[in-house]
Amino acid sequence: MNARYFVRKLSTLVVTLYLTVSFNFLLFHVLPGSPVQLLARSGHYDAAAKASLTKLFGLNHGLLTQYFIYLKNMVQGDLGFSYTYRKPVTTVLGAAVGNTVLLVGTATVITVFIGIWLGVKAASRANSLTDTTITVTSLTLWSMPDFFTGMILIFVTGVWTHVLPISGIETPGLTVGWLGHLLDVAKHLILPALTLMLVNAAEFSLITRNSMVDVMVDDYMVTARAKGVAKKVIVWHHALRNALLPIVTATALYVGMVLGGAIQVETVFSWPGMGLLIYNSVEQRDYPVLEGCFLLFAIAVIATNFISDILYQVLDARVRNN
Amino acid sequence: MSKKVEALQAQGISRRQFLTIGAVSAGAVGIAALSGPVHSAGATTSSAQRILRVGWTTPPDLLNPFTFTSSASFEIVSLMYDTLLEYDVNLKPSAGLAQSHTVSADGKTFTYKLRPNATWHDGKPVTAADVKFTFDTTAKNNLGQAAWSLGEYLSSRVVDTHTVAITYKKPQAFDPALAVFIVPQHIWGSMSSSQIQSNTNPKPVGSGPYQFKKWATGQYVQVVRNAKWWGAAPHAAGIIWNEFANADVMTQSLASGSVDILTEVPAVLWNGLKSKPGVKAAEMESFSFHHIGFNVSKAKTSKGNPLLLDKTVRQALSYSLNRAQLVALALAGHGLPGSVQLPPSFGDWHENIPKNQQFDNNPAKAKKMLAKAGYRVGSNGIRVDKHGKPLHFRLIVIQTTDEDVLAGQIFVKAAKAVGISLTLETLDSTTLGNIVYNSAAPDWDIFIWGWDANNPDPDYLLSIDLASQIGGNNDVFYSNAAYDALYAQQAVATNRAERINLVHQAQKMFYEDAAYCIMWYQSKLQAYRTDTWQGWKEMRGGVVYNFTRSNYLTVKPK
Repeated sequence: MNARYFVRKLSTLVVTLYLTVSFNFLLFHVLPGSPVQLLARSGHYDAAAKASLTKLFGLNHGLLTQYFIYLKNMVQGDLGFSYTYRKPVTTVLGAAVGNTVLLVGTATVITVFIGIWLGVKAASRANSLTDTTITVTSLTLWSMPDFFTGMILIFVTGVWTHVLPISGIETPGLTVGWLGHLLDVAKHLILPALTLMLVNAAEFSLITRNSMVDVMVDDYMVTARAKGVAKKVIVWHHALRNALLPIVTATALYVGMVLGGAIQVETVFSWPGMGLLIYNSVEQRDYPVLEGCFLLFAIAVIATNFISDILYQVLDARVRNN
Repeated sequence: MSKKVEALQAQGISRRQFLTIGAVSAGAVGIAALSGPVHSAGATTSSAQRILRVGWTTPPDLLNPFTFTSSASFEIVSLMYDTLLEYDVNLKPSAGLAQSHTVSADGKTFTYKLRPNATWHDGKPVTAADVKFTFDTTAKNNLGQAAWSLGEYLSSRVVDTHTVAITYKKPQAFDPALAVFIVPQHIWGSMSSSQIQSNTNPKPVGSGPYQFKKWATGQYVQVVRNAKWWGAAPHAAGIIWNEFANADVMTQSLASGSVDILTEVPAVLWNGLKSKPGVKAAEMESFSFHHIGFNVSKAKTSKGNPLLLDKTVRQALSYSLNRAQLVALALAGHGLPGSVQLPPSFGDWHENIPKNQQFDNNPAKAKKMLAKAGYRVGSNGIRVDKHGKPLHFRLIVIQTTDEDVLAGQIFVKAAKAVGISLTLETLDSTTLGNIVYNSAAPDWDIFIWGWDANNPDPDYLLSIDLASQIGGNNDVFYSNAAYDALYAQQAVATNRAERINLVHQAQKMFYEDAAYCIMWYQSKLQAYRTDTWQGWKEMRGGVVYNFTRSNYLTVKPK
């Protein structure tokens, strides 16, 4: 790999990250009003109590000082202190990130594989009834808001038939062994993951289909067919391999975006992940938690883009030679 | 070569097909196994081990009795910790951790006799020293939701192991013993003020009927029965408060039986629950009101429209509104028309303004008042003052509070009918709060929101609009020395009849000044299952999520 290319991409990454972090800080701190005042409204605090809270939250310093403290702490891995939960932001984020990764990770793997499979099926029978059915169905599902799809699933499986839990990540207070707990979590995972899959599979099926359709008419495909290679081999081995590049890009972008994109699904299914945390933190004006969340999103998007840039080098000879 | 490859490829496909079939069938078996009936904890266990399951959409913030602010945290903390006195099922003060108490003749010293058999959840005895420590710490550091009640706190004295005498600078009409959660000195005693404030209290140790088991953040809080509690053992072996991010799903969970009771149900969903079998939808009086607030700041830096400083304009705006119509339209009938700050749920503390003296639903009178005060109708139908300045005001409302937005729209029309123009703008709750509370230079005219009492005592709601609360809770910058004096007098009036009289006068004075136009007292809408637990007592303030823990302690499994 070209070292200059790598260094250039890496320095872009660092500058982007610094700008994002600073913008993040500024965004939340230039908003008028103070989180202490909001606590005070529900807490009946007097001036002395408010002053001591202001000090506890580090809001007694000037904006610039707060900014430098923020940067210094961040370098040391300290993302601050949640106003609402009075815990380090890293602790608050930790649990939520784990839950989101479980949901989004599972859903992404299923979505990508099913999406690609559907796209291949549609492309290999381009313009047939199968193609039309797959394309129209996935487009319809894609155009539905995910909270709506989620609510429909809740009514069908949770309310009418009672076969699946409709809320949370586990049954509260259930005392079973680790296997029972695993099954319990898996049961709770089905509906939100299915919702994400139904809504997002179209993205992959359509990209795969279009990319495949382009490849399928290439000369070497004709050659392969002329040689008498079985159609399935042509489709899955020859065509898909060459059609994969845009799918890799889409997956990289998707993973970066989907962390924040699951907010609605997490809210509908009360899934205690990043989405729900952001929602609640906005309500509470819990700046440090919000800054932590957005920092994480920024890192996810920047990092996946960086990886896909590097992957391009590895996968595509044209990028490499330029 | 091609033959070899094709053979391999053919093999690959068949292998893949095999794997696909395998994976699909394994998945199907897995899903079938997972899709058995959904059991919830408590639903299938014996009645002695039954767990009470509460559903809510309002997450608790902290379980530290010194620092929590949310109602949800209050609900949980009040079952893990005791107060010296507590509200009983009729919301009357009754014995708590203190089995009896006496008040000195001057009304300044309260002596409490603790229950000798009371212990902390870690087994250590509860002593008078713990009480002294809690009161000293709360008062000295201004900590938490009960600090407001200790403004006149002087000192505590340990009389003997189970007797403590608490002295105030002035007589106390409201006994702070009803508000201060007693904490163990052996756990909190070594902490500094800032350590107490930043303590998450991960394993709360109290002396209450339930002890902490688990808090899965964003999911649920679980407590289990404290077998050594001093009172009669409650029937529920444990309680789980289950957090929902979505009220629709929460309501469905009650209907399908995976929770037993809901703390708050939106009106539309509540109506839907009325016909569900095994569910009782309960409507009760609340300790809350929603009001239209007028910026009456006299500060030079205020950017509010100065025409609102004229009481006549405010009263006329109040007259323009039909409160019965507001309740019918904005609350779908779930509430009562509003007048004074203390809702009727306060019983004899509530000042009953006679119907014909209320500033309500009388646009003709509003027009007459305005005309008499010199506000003539301008060319565009909007009244102007003597200098030609139009009666035009900005109205801000929280966009997610549907009933307030609807009320705002009705208000705009009603005001226009008497010649006052309002422009409605909706904002998110945080932004609105920050605009309203910008006490240095308030730049707004009129807003809509509400207040909840944190106690069935009138003190808190009356204290909101004290001049000393400007910069604090006072949301309209109302400042009236006569009102402040009435408040101060009632706070030290230990004779109930005398205090009621003062509280009535204060409400009446504030009503006349019309800095608030109280629209309604909304109902508390809750719902519970009738086939899992029995004995829920419906009361003002709510079955649960109220100032008393009595329903949690008395409800029985069915």
